[in-house]
Amino acid sequence: MLRTIKPKNARSKRALDARLPKEQEDPRTTVFVRGTHSGELLNGVMRDLMALKRPYAIAFSKKNDIHPFDAASTSAASLEFWATKNDASMFVIAQTTKKRPHGLTFVRMFDNRVLDMLEVGVESFVGIPELKTPKSTPGHKPLMHFASDLFDTNPRFVQLKSMLIALFNGEVIDSICLAGLEYVISVSLGPSLPAPANGSTEEAPLPTVHLRTYTTRMLASGSRTPRVELTPMGPSLDMKLRRHTSADPELLKQALRTPKLKKTDVEKGLGKKRKNIEVDEMGDLRGRVHIAKQDLGKLQTRKMKGLKGGDTDGDVEMEEQTEGEGPTKKRRKDGE
Amino acid sequence: MDVSGIIASNAAKYKSITVEKETPLVVDTGLLLVSDHNPIDEDSYNENLEEHLQNLARDGVQELFASLFALPTQTSEDGPLAQLPPPTTPMPRAKPLPKPKPPTKWEQFAAAKGIQHRKRDKREWDEERQEWVNRWGRDGKNKQLEEQWITEVPLHADVDHDPRKVARDERKARVAKNQKQQEANLARGSQGGRKQEIERTMATTRISTASMGKFDKKLDGEKKVRGVKRKFDPTEKPMEEEKSASLALLSRMGSDAKKTRREPAPEENVVNVRKAVRFASKGRGGIALGAASARGRGRGGRGGGRGGRGGKR
Repeated sequence: MLRTIKPKNARSKRALDARLPKEQEDPRTTVFVRGTHSGELLNGVMRDLMALKRPYAIAFSKKNDIHPFDAASTSAASLEFWATKNDASMFVIAQTTKKRPHGLTFVRMFDNRVLDMLEVGVESFVGIPELKTPKSTPGHKPLMHFASDLFDTNPRFVQLKSMLIALFNGEVIDSICLAGLEYVISVSLGPSLPAPANGSTEEAPLPTVHLRTYTTRMLASGSRTPRVELTPMGPSLDMKLRRHTSADPELLKQALRTPKLKKTDVEKGLGKKRKNIEVDEMGDLRGRVHIAKQDLGKLQTRKMKGLKGGDTDGDVEMEEQTEGEGPTKKRRKDGE
Repeated sequence: MDVSGIIASNAAKYKSITVEKETPLVVDTGLLLVSDHNPIDEDSYNENLEEHLQNLARDGVQELFASLFALPTQTSEDGPLAQLPPPTTPMPRAKPLPKPKPPTKWEQFAAAKGIQHRKRDKREWDEERQEWVNRWGRDGKNKQLEEQWITEVPLHADVDHDPRKVARDERKARVAKNQKQQEANLARGSQGGRKQEIERTMATTRISTASMGKFDKKLDGEKKVRGVKRKFDPTEKPMEEEKSASLALLSRMGSDAKKTRREPAPEENVVNVRKAVRFASKGRGGIALGAASARGRGRGGRGGGRGGRGGKR
């Protein structure tokens, strides 16, 4: 366990405060860990995923003896230590073995503890530099596209979808520049494969996952919404799902807690009925404003010499009387 | 006039922006996410994989763009900003929700009294210097009294009266007081609750015997209390210390500051009521005495000297 640090100056205090839990979270800082053996293909995958993830990516480019699915090893402790040390909440681990070639493991953390893990085997890979096409600006947010109903029905693919969203696009934002929608990460599945005929106890093998990255081009369409054309950007990955651990239900329940709606949001109309605002038949937003009743007696009309009148003495007397009464009345009102 | 030709040429110029699918696409604009639930067309998949994937993605992205461009926008330097709604897909957080900060004693008081928080500027206007100066810190206004080159000395002040030192001490005392309050607030906020309290009491009781728990019976799985050290006074002490310690002990024995049971204050009456009740009830107490007298009255008919005319009891 790390020792708790008491900040000695304002700068280190700010740095520590930035690591405290926030209501609106930052993007997940991701550590890209190289295992004991990774190989050229996985190194390329890691390099390109990092390029998409920058500036929230940290590279552990030396060899690390880490086996997250091996319960006997101290890998979980290592992950927790790295998470605290780097303020990282996600890991991508590259490890290739004879039994599981080109394995890429995604680890998601909650409160510096391992929430869930997912291993995929990379079958084919095309890197960013290999495609001579326009690239997106680093640091821009991607669009995400998932094509298959298995991403909502099969728990393995539900986990993969959630993991990929957390990796690339997990943070909540309140607005986005429409001109900055530069690239899209598309994840689709191959056709589902038939179950093996003879070994009926085995389940049907899971379909291949295709991850593609495209840059968008907006063309005029004659309306407000542009027509979109895509150009492959890279990286392109074909993957097979391998081992996984699902999240501990208790931990997941804690992780899925959402903050209460803020007062400004409630005023904007989220979560609660808006008062005094309605949409009329024409679709216009109409608000009602309540003002106290206007006193027309004090209304200043046009000043004219003729209206001042000749009976100045009487007028002055009357005015004095009313003036004398005025403040007392006011005072009484204030007191009430 | 025939406009069909114009419409046709227009349609040819602009390709369609509508996407038609069997199952409509599900868009989560808060996460810039679109999901396509349609089954995969195996023919096109097998025929040309890359083209198939790109077409799938294009349709999805077109639908997502349609929803994004329909959102209300704000203008900015870089172009229109779409105001995104909160996401509908639940995503696990990376860290737990922040705990609300415990209110300080002042905040509690202010809330009870309805005092509004008003932020004070760090700088204030100095009339003499005609400029803004810091309230505290470098060249702070709170150090003005101790830094000015001439200070009025009060009448009949001591010879060694140092107005600068007095002002400085006052300021330092204020700072110290504030720090103490701050620590008290922190301590109040970070109390570990019932469990920690019980553990602390437990630890105290375990070292409260004469041997500080050395010869007590141990329970199964009981842990050793840490941080317990016996302290002995040195055998030889200076005379003054010994004398003062003995006197302190004597005075403590004489005083009743630490007594748990206080002697009752001497009563004004001559009769000691408590003693009289004890005597009359033969030591069984006032309630028993009352019950016995009531029973006696019921049997005797006439009762005591109270006169039974009211007949109420």
